[in-house]
Amino acid sequence: MSARKWLLIAALLTPGLGLILVLIGTVVYIAVAQSFGFYTITGESGFTTQFWSDMIGRKLFSRSINYSIYVGVLSAIFSVALAYPLALWLRKPFAGSMAIGAVLKAPLLIPGLVAAFLFINIISYNGIVNQLIQWLGFSDAPIRMQNDSNAIGVLILQTWKNLPFALLLLTGAVRGISDEVLDAARDLGAGTWARFSKVIAPLTVSGMQASLVIIFIGAVSDFSFQVIAGPTNLQSMSQLMVTFKDRGDWNSAAVVGVSLMMIALIGSALMAIGARLMLRRRLT
Amino acid sequence: MVAIRIDELTKQFEAFTALAKLSLEVEQEEFVTLLGPSGCGKTTLLKLISGFLDPTEGTIHINGKDVTRTPPEARDTALCFQSYALFPHLTVRENLEFGPRQKRISAHDRKARVDDVAEKLSLHAQMDKLPNQLSGGQQQRVSLGRALVMRPSVILFDEPLSNLDAKLRDQVRIEIRRIQKEYGLTAIYVTHDQNEALAMSDRVVVLNGGRVEQIDTPEALYHAPKTRFVADFIGDANVFSGTVQGEVQPGLWRVETAMGTYDVATSTPPKEKDVDLCWRPESAVLGDAGHTGKVINRAFQGHFTDLMIETKGVSYRVQSRATSAQEGDTVNISIPPEQLILLERTA
Ligand SMILES: Nc1ncnc2c1ncn2[C@@H]1O[C@H](COP(=O)(O)OP(=O)(O)OP(=O)(O)O)[C@@H](O)[C@H]1O
Ligand SMILES: [Mg+2]
Repeated sequence: MSARKWLLIAALLTPGLGLILVLIGTVVYIAVAQSFGFYTITGESGFTTQFWSDMIGRKLFSRSINYSIYVGVLSAIFSVALAYPLALWLRKPFAGSMAIGAVLKAPLLIPGLVAAFLFINIISYNGIVNQLIQWLGFSDAPIRMQNDSNAIGVLILQTWKNLPFALLLLTGAVRGISDEVLDAARDLGAGTWARFSKVIAPLTVSGMQASLVIIFIGAVSDFSFQVIAGPTNLQSMSQLMVTFKDRGDWNSAAVVGVSLMMIALIGSALMAIGARLMLRRRLT
Repeated sequence: MVAIRIDELTKQFEAFTALAKLSLEVEQEEFVTLLGPSGCGKTTLLKLISGFLDPTEGTIHINGKDVTRTPPEARDTALCFQSYALFPHLTVRENLEFGPRQKRISAHDRKARVDDVAEKLSLHAQMDKLPNQLSGGQQQRVSLGRALVMRPSVILFDEPLSNLDAKLRDQVRIEIRRIQKEYGLTAIYVTHDQNEALAMSDRVVVLNGGRVEQIDTPEALYHAPKTRFVADFIGDANVFSGTVQGEVQPGLWRVETAMGTYDVATSTPPKEKDVDLCWRPESAVLGDAGHTGKVINRAFQGHFTDLMIETKGVSYRVQSRATSAQEGDTVNISIPPEQLILLERTA
């Protein structure tokens, strides 16, 4: 390609890509710089590794990392695991399948915060779930389900919110597999599980990876579900970051922020690679 | 012993009847061909036998067991798909190994089977390629191989040679029969190529519009077709509508047609007065006796000459090995009585 052509391509890309790169670049640069003591809002600025070494020693920090990874990984896995059977079910159009597909995608339109409030109301001490349990006679007293320490509430909300997204990606992928290929697998003796693990999953691995990665990144940095429905004795990384910021400790907040970005990056790479490796092993 | 027994099998798609009350018995190790025009229900029948379609009515038995409601993965059949249906993410070797792996055949056996089939279908140079790196003919052979490695008791082929060139087709055709005999497989083979059907089969089922026209050996189909459809479909035939005049000698019946009178030798007396009369172009004798006709077209074909002849406004084909007749010449045609075939008149 000639230099002129390259110039043209660069010119065409600049408005979009350029803006994205500038914004991301600035954010990352400021966050990294702040975590090393620059751009301090109050007090003096200057290079120091103090904030990092302090943070790494904190129990609060490591617990928050573990907790965020736990929420991120499980949300991604649950959403994808539930989306697959639905995508396969909706692969062929049938009477009502459009309506079902539309209803399943509704969570995409409901703001997460609203959903979290609704959810808390339903499972609260005097909520309808408890009323139902008592009415059915499973328990005499209401059960405390809100802000449970295993973050089951957060996982339910995350899965509910992200499943439609995984469904969207996987439905497209699953529709691309021809009937005859699935029939051939069946004819060669593959039952339901073998058809899934040896044919469907490998042929939709890109969709699966994309869903896992994007859901993981969203869930690992969860703030709103955690604040409303999460355990009270644990903080997600986003929550921790906000806590530091509220105290005016921007540098520590930046340390948490940079760590979160790295975890999102490394974690999603690991999930994508993991998905492919697992499928590769199944085949041979 | 009967390997496949099909009783009164009917398949309807909504209001459309794809197969109507089809009955068929296939012996163990027999090679039966389904022959018929496009859309006559050949693939539908294979899919019913392998279990991908549920019959509207009727039953299917394989090796004495009723499998009408058995799912495909539990039937001891292997289908070679018309559309190949290769696994796009697997190499040729992995495609071939898929079935044996599912059947938990030992690694050693598996390799032996796959290598054997690859050798016979000339696929060894393609083993590590993905299906989208293969030519159409190569994909077709992989699909064929994938069914053959299963060595099932019943193997079903859906036009497995349609994409091969003439030379490869002859070669693979011979391999299919060899493998089928070697492993004692019962085979149902779909084609719409009559030469293939005649050359390969123990018996041929001629289908038309979801119905059986005739089930017979290739020789019987050719020399004694029962209906006009079969006569037309298998080889070339001249067919005329006629009226039976009566028996002129024991076993010799006189039939009146638009182009003249014929005497037909037949052991089975015609049931109806209205019949169709058929003869093969190569049974005509050009000589001094018989009907007079005019040559309207002549085509030299090497070991014979194809003549189009017209008598009383009716044109028909004649093949002759030695004729000097030219276009416009007048010739005399006679057909030996035993070469004339009476067909049941069908609607
Ligand atoms: N799923 C289906 N729904 C409705 N009609 C169908 C379906 N499958 C097949 N048919 C119809 O049944 C008839 C027989 O189809 P089939 O595929 O068995 O033909 P075929 O003999 O294999 O033809 P070809 O030689 O072209 O492969 C066709 O008229 C076809 O349109
Ligand atoms: Mg077909």
